[in-house]
Amino acid sequence: MTQISLRGVHKAFGAVHVVSDLHLDITDREFLVLLGPSGCGKTTTMRMVAGLEHATQGEITFDGRRMNEVPTRARDVAMVFQNYGLYPHMSVADNIGYPLKLRGLSRSERDAAVRRAAARVELEPYLNRRPRELSGGQRQRVALARSIVRTPRVFLMDEPLSNLDAKLRVAMRAEIKHLAHELQVTTLYVTHDQVEAMTLAHRVAIMKDGVIRQLATPEQIYDDPTDAYVAGFIGSPPMNLIPVHAEGNEVRAEGGVRLAVAPPRAGRLLMGARAEDIVLASDRDALVDAEVFAFELLGDSTQVTVKFGHTSVALKGERSLRLAMGERIGLRVRPERVYWFDADNGQRIRTAPRAPAMT
Amino acid sequence: MMTAPTAAGVQGTPAALIPGYVAPWPETARDWLARMLVFTGICAILMPIAWILLTAFKLPREVYSLDSALVFTPTLDNFRTVFEPPWNLGDKIVNSLVVAACTVLLAIPMATMAAYAFSRFDFRFKQALFLVVIASQFIPAAVVVLPYFLMFKQIGLLDTRIALVLVNMSIVLPYAVWMLKGFIDAVPLEVEESAMVDGAHRARVIAEIVVPTALPGIITAAVFSFTLTWNEFLFALIITKQDALTLPIGLIGFRTERGDLWELMAAGGTLITAPMFILSLLVQKQFIQSLTAGSSR
Repeated sequence: MTQISLRGVHKAFGAVHVVSDLHLDITDREFLVLLGPSGCGKTTTMRMVAGLEHATQGEITFDGRRMNEVPTRARDVAMVFQNYGLYPHMSVADNIGYPLKLRGLSRSERDAAVRRAAARVELEPYLNRRPRELSGGQRQRVALARSIVRTPRVFLMDEPLSNLDAKLRVAMRAEIKHLAHELQVTTLYVTHDQVEAMTLAHRVAIMKDGVIRQLATPEQIYDDPTDAYVAGFIGSPPMNLIPVHAEGNEVRAEGGVRLAVAPPRAGRLLMGARAEDIVLASDRDALVDAEVFAFELLGDSTQVTVKFGHTSVALKGERSLRLAMGERIGLRVRPERVYWFDADNGQRIRTAPRAPAMT
Repeated sequence: MMTAPTAAGVQGTPAALIPGYVAPWPETARDWLARMLVFTGICAILMPIAWILLTAFKLPREVYSLDSALVFTPTLDNFRTVFEPPWNLGDKIVNSLVVAACTVLLAIPMATMAAYAFSRFDFRFKQALFLVVIASQFIPAAVVVLPYFLMFKQIGLLDTRIALVLVNMSIVLPYAVWMLKGFIDAVPLEVEESAMVDGAHRARVIAEIVVPTALPGIITAAVFSFTLTWNEFLFALIITKQDALTLPIGLIGFRTERGDLWELMAAGGTLITAPMFILSLLVQKQFIQSLTAGSSR
């Protein structure tokens, strides 16, 4: 029920510029994920929306109303912190009910709402416990319940899953996705985990060095990255980025290995290809011949790391594929699935669709 | 040559024959030595206290006699005498209690707020100011006692409990601020931010989140401050004369022209020590908890 706008927002801690000239619109009921490595400014951006940090420059608005000077308590946002931020001296029920207590609700009104919120995240048996008597996953659920006990204008989640073990993380991810769908509240979610971003988001903003590198849907980000950084950040394994040198119609990888592909232009380039777009090929129509460096069974598929010259490339294979270490194989890439980037600034070089240029 | 108890020899050579090999002490011997050391330490600390305790229950003539050093018929006479004129230790207990309680009740809230500011806010000269707070306690008490005396004389507060409370606050506050800053530092910032996001004003965050979370620390600081005030001697000696005398000053009264009344002094000493002893027993759990706070998590 709230649209958030950041207009030219800038944040500096002393001489350190953490966020620079950030423009971002989060539409009503959208689930937007800020994704980036640590120190990229994503958490600072969220904290400015929460009012826990003040923007050095620029404007933050909720539904067109300037919020810069509005204190945190009056912004009506709910936030889930990485370390949960639970009140250690209060029971689970009191933790969840605290936002309502602050709003002056009576004990009985609070109890009913707390019970509803706890039921949503399956915490009812633990209402009388203290946070320290709960497991990490349960604590995280208390933090979630506290944020949904009222209907805030905005949900803010700061790496809420990063303290959980891998299995629990997957389960909680699904819970958050379900909750977000049910509650239909504008959500800003910060993470460094690209899988979380891809699975949860309506749109993802990939940040680096305080700047948004790409803002798009998960599909667009995966299929159509704007630069090499985004391409290399998303996907598991991330996109293969092969440094090459193009001259005329010839592409050579480091070490002089010739690749059977047509370059978009001459010069130093990065050739990108996703692991699932690289397939094994017979020697005749291969892009390149390579040696198997590592062969891994993943269960539902296989992953092969191959080496040619100084370059190593990851590709995905069939579940039934079996290769020996050191085996020589040919690789092929669907040409419409090859991405080109400027090796110097990482910018995408877009090519017009064209006929396959192999053989 | 003796065979060492742990003869882990090289190719059958007894360990004791290997050059440079020192057999470890038998474990029991080491344990016993450690116990002896600890026991000696405990004795050194407890002996004077035990002596005072024993003396407090003795008759005057038994105090100086070696025969009755440990074996005597205990009497409560001394405890009766000290409450009677001219000693009137009851008044002094009341003074000590009032002064210590008021000092703690005033100093701890003030110290908590100051410590919160030092812990959470950024302001100019913060480091320097914090250092000054601590450094104020490096000044020997004897240096400032005279100015205090003159000041209180000027405003007519000599020999009053108010003067004692003010002086003791000046002693207790720096320590309390310093201790409490550590405890407030240990309260995770996220917890406070959570409360602000949930809609709490900072004053409410402090009252409902920070103080309860740091409570073991606050209690520790309060007990420490109470003890410091309860035992304070020098300032009370100079500033009080008759009406506001505290227990430690009351003790000097037992040095009379008839000589030192050891049995009465011991009874008074017991009365000073006992409340602190009981208090420390009561808060021991809290104290240990606060000492080890933050070690897990």
